[in-house]
Amino acid sequence: MDPKVNGQLQHDWSWLIAVYLFLGGVGGGAYTIAAINSFLGTGLELSTTVGLWIGFPALLIGTLFLIADLGAPSRAILAAMKPGTSWISRGTLIISVFMVLSFVHLVLHQFTDVGATAGGSTLIDIIAIAGIVFAIGTMAYTGILLSASKGIPFWRSGVVPIIFVVSATVTGHFAIMLGVVLNGAVPGTLTALQTMALEAVALVVLEVLAILFFLQAAFRQPDPRESAERILSKSMFVVGYFILGLAMPMILMIVVYFSVVSTSTNGMIAFAAIGAVLGLIGGLILRQAVLICGALPTLNIAGFKFRRIHRPKDPKPGIGLMPPT
Amino acid sequence: MPRYGMVIDLKRCYGCYACSMACKTANHTPPGVFWARVLMSEVGTYPNAVRQALPVLCMQCDEPSCMEVCPTGATQKRDDGIVIVDQDKCMGCKYCVMACPYGSRYSVDKWESYFPEGLPLSPLEEHQKKAWMEKSGVGVATKCDFCLDRLAEGKLPACVEACPAVARTFGDLDDPNSDISILIKKERGQVLNPEFGNEPKVYYLFPR
Repeated sequence: MDPKVNGQLQHDWSWLIAVYLFLGGVGGGAYTIAAINSFLGTGLELSTTVGLWIGFPALLIGTLFLIADLGAPSRAILAAMKPGTSWISRGTLIISVFMVLSFVHLVLHQFTDVGATAGGSTLIDIIAIAGIVFAIGTMAYTGILLSASKGIPFWRSGVVPIIFVVSATVTGHFAIMLGVVLNGAVPGTLTALQTMALEAVALVVLEVLAILFFLQAAFRQPDPRESAERILSKSMFVVGYFILGLAMPMILMIVVYFSVVSTSTNGMIAFAAIGAVLGLIGGLILRQAVLICGALPTLNIAGFKFRRIHRPKDPKPGIGLMPPT
Repeated sequence: MPRYGMVIDLKRCYGCYACSMACKTANHTPPGVFWARVLMSEVGTYPNAVRQALPVLCMQCDEPSCMEVCPTGATQKRDDGIVIVDQDKCMGCKYCVMACPYGSRYSVDKWESYFPEGLPLSPLEEHQKKAWMEKSGVGVATKCDFCLDRLAEGKLPACVEACPAVARTFGDLDDPNSDISILIKKERGQVLNPEFGNEPKVYYLFPR
């Protein structure tokens, strides 16, 4: 058998799952940052508010994408039946608790006086701490869901949950940044953006290290190696994720950080907005690329290696036409 | 209670795909769904190349990873060891498809005809569609169940009956005097990729 034969790719988890994983990550990341601000009383009121407004809706919309991908959505209520063994059940419980906490936190923060003061009150603190725990659980779950899939060797890595947590934090951070920018220039916006730009650079560096470690580990084993070669051959991943989704936002954030004095306010805000949007798109591309490059394992017996060969589905011929040869 | 398993003698299998066709006929699987597949592999280079066929089906694992990850409890292992999907409980998350290291699970989004779009269904297709929807359905996970319907009638699984080379043996793994147990013991039957840890109940015999 040609050792370069391409194994059958999984095709059952579509872009709907990629969006679900992405929005779950954005929601968890944005909420975590907002809740830490709220708990520590950092005074970054705007970013706290924006983060809370992103967290719950992102999760809600993400869950709708998951349900849309189900073959029998009417039975989604059964998803939490086996938390003892199934990560989907565990994830359903984690996300459900997180959605309740993030919603309560948002309501208390926005519509009552409980969280109005810097540092909040005891109730807000308790919700923030619990919310952070479940937000991190949600971010990690999106990666564990993949790494617990025995049928896809590329995903079977302990690094996948780490990448997803880091990427979720990065995308959550960029989502808050975009929200701050869209809120318009109010007193404190520029200072906040400068601080956030520096944090974004640090987070993106962390994500680059994590993804390089993941790919390096994948190259050490035959089946994951094939998927790693496939993902690196995709311009969507190399250009869309590495260049536009990581490198460009990092450059723009560095520019934002250093140009606070020399550049016009509008220019800085534009750079921050473009960087944040690119970073968010990069996060979505990462998830989609990891999903679509997952291939089934090689079966071995008696010195033979067996692969299901990847063949794109042929279109059906029309009536009266010859099938494609 | 028996514990059903299967032995496939790779020395006998010549890759005729009769098992795949018999499975499709018996279970009315739609296009793209192969509960009984045959993979081909080749080692060596001309003139010393050897080609080998590998029939693959659901391994009816004793430790099925599909059952472990199923969030609704739709995937169950019967007392006789056969792993089944309760289509009334499956929510179609496809996690079991990702969890099966042998690639033996399928999810069918919609029933499709083998023939071009726009043609009316023939009586045979109407029957196939009805049978598929009753047994498996769309939007849920599907898999080989060792032809449970046929077992209930005292018949062998369709792939076993159809194999012209008599490469497949079906029987009770817990009965030390069954053909399958004797074959596994005598010819040192092995499972595919034991490192997966699923403890499959489909064994293979191969030249040593």
